[in-house]
Amino acid sequence: MSQPSQAEIRNRLLRVLPKCDFALLAPHLQAMPTELRQVLITPQEPVRYLYFPESGFASITTQGSSGRVEIGLVGREGLVGASPLLLGADRTPFAHFIQGAGEVLCIDRAAFCAAVDESASLRRLLLRYVQIQLIQTAQTAFVNATYSLEVRLARWLLMCQDRTDGDELAITHEFLSLMLGAQRSSTTLAVQALEGYRLIRARRGRITVLDREALEAAADDGYGVPEAEYARLIEGA
Amino acid sequence: MPRYYFHLRHRPGPEGLAVDEDGDDLPDLDAARLHALAVARDTIARTRTDIVRDWFVCAFEITDEAGRHLLTVPFSDTVPDEVP
Repeated sequence: MSQPSQAEIRNRLLRVLPKCDFALLAPHLQAMPTELRQVLITPQEPVRYLYFPESGFASITTQGSSGRVEIGLVGREGLVGASPLLLGADRTPFAHFIQGAGEVLCIDRAAFCAAVDESASLRRLLLRYVQIQLIQTAQTAFVNATYSLEVRLARWLLMCQDRTDGDELAITHEFLSLMLGAQRSSTTLAVQALEGYRLIRARRGRITVLDREALEAAADDGYGVPEAEYARLIEGA
Repeated sequence: MPRYYFHLRHRPGPEGLAVDEDGDDLPDLDAARLHALAVARDTIARTRTDIVRDWFVCAFEITDEAGRHLLTVPFSDTVPDEVP
């Protein structure tokens, strides 16, 4: 199978790597299509593969007695499996599964670890991404404790759109409820509110962002901190 | 198992109904009522929204798959009647 060329890669971490670091990973990257609900990492089982999303996105969720709630989102800006392996763990308590179908570049754990052991600059860049994931999780805690469901929905839709091409997001209310940790009926209310403000249009299983700028205003301080840190730490903005 | 739809009534008129398009499979209407009460309790306890200021004016309007109205469960039913 031919190796992906760096210029054609859409994953933002892989794109910013210096050529020598990319060359350490490239021979081991396998393109793989993903489908909705596909499990990438099972809780408390050794992580065998890591995944650089090229398109679509994965959710990190925690399962409690009262249901499942999303605690993280990873798309083409990230690497699924980065946190446990780079921080010296072999497994994680959280499920990682596909919420938006697309394509990932898959890498075997041993090949990945050998590459980061060989290159300090590769390890540093990927650890910076782990830092951004920590910030994203902290931001989720802040937003969940502080803001109304409408603000939380606006933030999540912006995060989704950042990981998608175009204005149209394929999302059911059931998924939205999982993302927001809310009852389905409350989620429907929040969707109606943002529709009422003309920020989005919702059709069955599909949400269109009509006014990105106004949606960012509606998300208030809930959106933007991890995104700005990503630009600064990873892309040097 | 029949499927029940739990539409959330938060104010009068068509604008005031959050329509449930998915529904939930439950054994019978009694189970549907208990489900509505459990969801209402959780919503009152945890949910802040711009649309609803007072959850206690809300109700679930339960319909069947044909859209027939079966039962209204006010959120206030989550609180037991006061014994004088």
